[in-house]
Amino acid sequence: MNIKGSPWKAGSLLLLLVSNLLLCQNVAPLPICPGGAVRCQVTLRDLFDRAVVLSHYIHNLSSEMFSEFDKQYTHGRGFITRAINSCHTSSLPTPEDKEQAQQMNQKDFLSLIVSILRSWNEPLYHLVTEVRGMEEAPEAILSKAVEIEEQTKRLLEGMELIVSQVHPETKENEIYPVWTGLPSLQMADEESRLSAYYNLLHCLRRDSHKIDNYLKLLKCRIIHNNNC
Amino acid sequence: MKENVISATVFTLLLFLNTCLLNGQLPPGKPEIFKCRSPNKETFTCWWRPGTDGGLPTNYSLTYHREGETLMHECPDYITGGPNSCHFGKQYTSMWRTYVMMVNATNQMGSSFSDELYVDVTYIVQPDPPLELTVEVKQPEDRKPYLWMKWSPPTLIDLKTGWFTLLYEIRLKPEKAAEWETHFAGQQTEFKILSLHPGQKYLVQVRCKPDHGYWSAWSPATFIQIPSDFIMNDTTVWISVAVLSAVICLIIVWAVALKGYSMVTCIFPPVPGPKIKGFDAHLLEKGKSEELLSALGCQDFPPTSDYEDLLVEYLEVDDSEDQHLMSVHSKEHPSQGMKPTYLDPDTDSGRGSCDSPSLLPEKCEEPQANPSTFYDPEVIEKPENPETTHPWDPQCISMEGKIPYFHAGGSKCSTWPLIQHNPRSSYHNITDVCELAVGPADAPATLLDEAGKDALKSSQTIKSREEGKAAQQREVDSFHSKIDQDTPWLLPQEKTPFGSAKPLDYVEIHKVNKDGALSLLPKQRENSGQPEKPRAPENSKEYAKVSGVMDNNILVLVPDPHAKNVACFEESAKEAPPSLEQNQAEKDLANCTATPSKCRIQLGGLDYLDPACFTHSFH
Repeated sequence: MNIKGSPWKAGSLLLLLVSNLLLCQNVAPLPICPGGAVRCQVTLRDLFDRAVVLSHYIHNLSSEMFSEFDKQYTHGRGFITRAINSCHTSSLPTPEDKEQAQQMNQKDFLSLIVSILRSWNEPLYHLVTEVRGMEEAPEAILSKAVEIEEQTKRLLEGMELIVSQVHPETKENEIYPVWTGLPSLQMADEESRLSAYYNLLHCLRRDSHKIDNYLKLLKCRIIHNNNC
Repeated sequence: MKENVISATVFTLLLFLNTCLLNGQLPPGKPEIFKCRSPNKETFTCWWRPGTDGGLPTNYSLTYHREGETLMHECPDYITGGPNSCHFGKQYTSMWRTYVMMVNATNQMGSSFSDELYVDVTYIVQPDPPLELTVEVKQPEDRKPYLWMKWSPPTLIDLKTGWFTLLYEIRLKPEKAAEWETHFAGQQTEFKILSLHPGQKYLVQVRCKPDHGYWSAWSPATFIQIPSDFIMNDTTVWISVAVLSAVICLIIVWAVALKGYSMVTCIFPPVPGPKIKGFDAHLLEKGKSEELLSALGCQDFPPTSDYEDLLVEYLEVDDSEDQHLMSVHSKEHPSQGMKPTYLDPDTDSGRGSCDSPSLLPEKCEEPQANPSTFYDPEVIEKPENPETTHPWDPQCISMEGKIPYFHAGGSKCSTWPLIQHNPRSSYHNITDVCELAVGPADAPATLLDEAGKDALKSSQTIKSREEGKAAQQREVDSFHSKIDQDTPWLLPQEKTPFGSAKPLDYVEIHKVNKDGALSLLPKQRENSGQPEKPRAPENSKEYAKVSGVMDNNILVLVPDPHAKNVACFEESAKEAPPSLEQNQAEKDLANCTATPSKCRIQLGGLDYLDPACFTHSFH
């Protein structure tokens, strides 16, 4: 018998046990309403329904905007190759498949969504400004951009409400990835400028799909207890 | 030299190519990845199309790398997706990440690469069709029958956790029809169809799509036979609609039938009969009820014809001094020397009011020549009911402002009552007391009184009856002529007895019964008239001098203050003061001739007797 190893084994076992307990606790759904009131539950359901509707709508708009831009300016010119690794939100630890998403805890998940939304405030603002300032501003793209900016703000407000209800103790975390692509949007070279717009719209389409999928996941998890 | 070199090179190449072609071996053609699909956002498959074979067995390999990675990977599964496919399992699939993949075709002669394809699993989602579509016809007892269809989502799709969201669509058509009937079903997995053709065989299909992605293929068609007794309840609806509309039509027809007559009379008023000279205020009174009805509904004066008929053309003046009837209104009176006519009860001729059937249908039966009334139509209004507002009233009042005397409140014209003093007079009934509200006009100008010519003029002005104006003119003229002939006047009588007549009673109009015509007697005032009947304060406008009181409390009024003797009607005097407050007019009663001059107040040329004077004279 290796007497020297047994305390280590015991310690590691204990550590494992404790960490498992902690992880389990993290994974288990937290009570929705601190007070446990039914009324609170219903309100949260409405909030989630509204948030899902908004996120679905925003992704539809983004998808259409990207398609129109590509068709009009960049189709078949291989801009996709330059769009690899061009999103400013790629630093965020976003789950990329179902298993990763289910392993993510609720609180982090919500904070992640809020971070993504916050990080898109500024790019959307500049997108609208720059497209509006174009000589022949494409009206379809501009109108969609304006709408997306508006709805994203609303969605952010809704998410902050949800967070305050589900995790009231969450302290405001204002950290989010910063977008630095404004100079690219204003470049004189048309090719580079078009590439910058392409990347921006490509990333917007992707992130809006992420948010939509995450919210639908969370809604089924929180409201319907994984029984949608 | 150079040309030779070049041509030699070309020749060599062509020779080599020829050799190869003769052998039938070439490097493979360029493949192409043409489709990638993910049925559940957890796995995906890509298919490629090989290029030309080159005659040699060719190997294909797919290589890829993912966004953010530099390492190249090879396809993990070439089998599951079928030939020329690459299947990516769960552990190889990542959402929101671009895959850059390429197919390499290799054979003995060489290899060729396809173009790079950039794939993001997010945008290639297309589920399988829904499964287990079941269709059946349901016919509950108390409800409409319907077609009920159910299906289940395709396998391998995770809906419970919300990772995947499915939307469905169904379509159906009768077997022989050309067009499909499509319905969007949302996220539900069942559907009801209500409108179907009985006895037909239907095809039903369903498909689904993710919240962001492509529609699946249609499921295999399910056949369903609709039974022939599949009742379309639309007929019930139509039957109830028809019954309801029939009922409504009946109600409308019934309502129209009930009210039709009044409506028709309103729209098409009865044609007025021939006009009779003179005024027919009594006619008004007589036809009061009808007047009221007409006033309510129509502006027309239905009893117009009656009034016409009731116009007393001539006032029969009884020579008996006791009986003088004053005509209420003085129509335009050409002849100044008109004397009050006395109604001769014995004289039947000329007594029109009762003669005319329209005048007093219930009271008079004897035919009479259309009497013309002296009274101005507007003036004559019998105040049977104090509350009753005679349609004339407004006219009375509005009469060019010349008849202000009309009771301010009641604004009633009262027909002249017939004062039956003299049995000879044909005062039969005193029905109407008409107050000649000829304010500015002379005291109730006695048509019969020559002095009342002014009154006549005023009365004429008073005439507001459009219809009667000309007629009245004529009537007046004829009246004058007739007066000379001593034709009795007949005035319309109020139905109410004299006693009930409230307003000022200056002239009594006797309704002529069988024996007589209505006669008006301007009475020469002989004695102080006892107030026979209480006069409504508002009616206490005195226009004429009361010459006396009849036995049945009829006041005999004398139209002409000058011509009459001094006797003033005491009662009227008493009543006058209150009436003097009337805003309508400060008319003084036609004074008695004997009244001191101071009693006579001339207003606008009219002679009115100040009631106050009466008291002096009488007391």
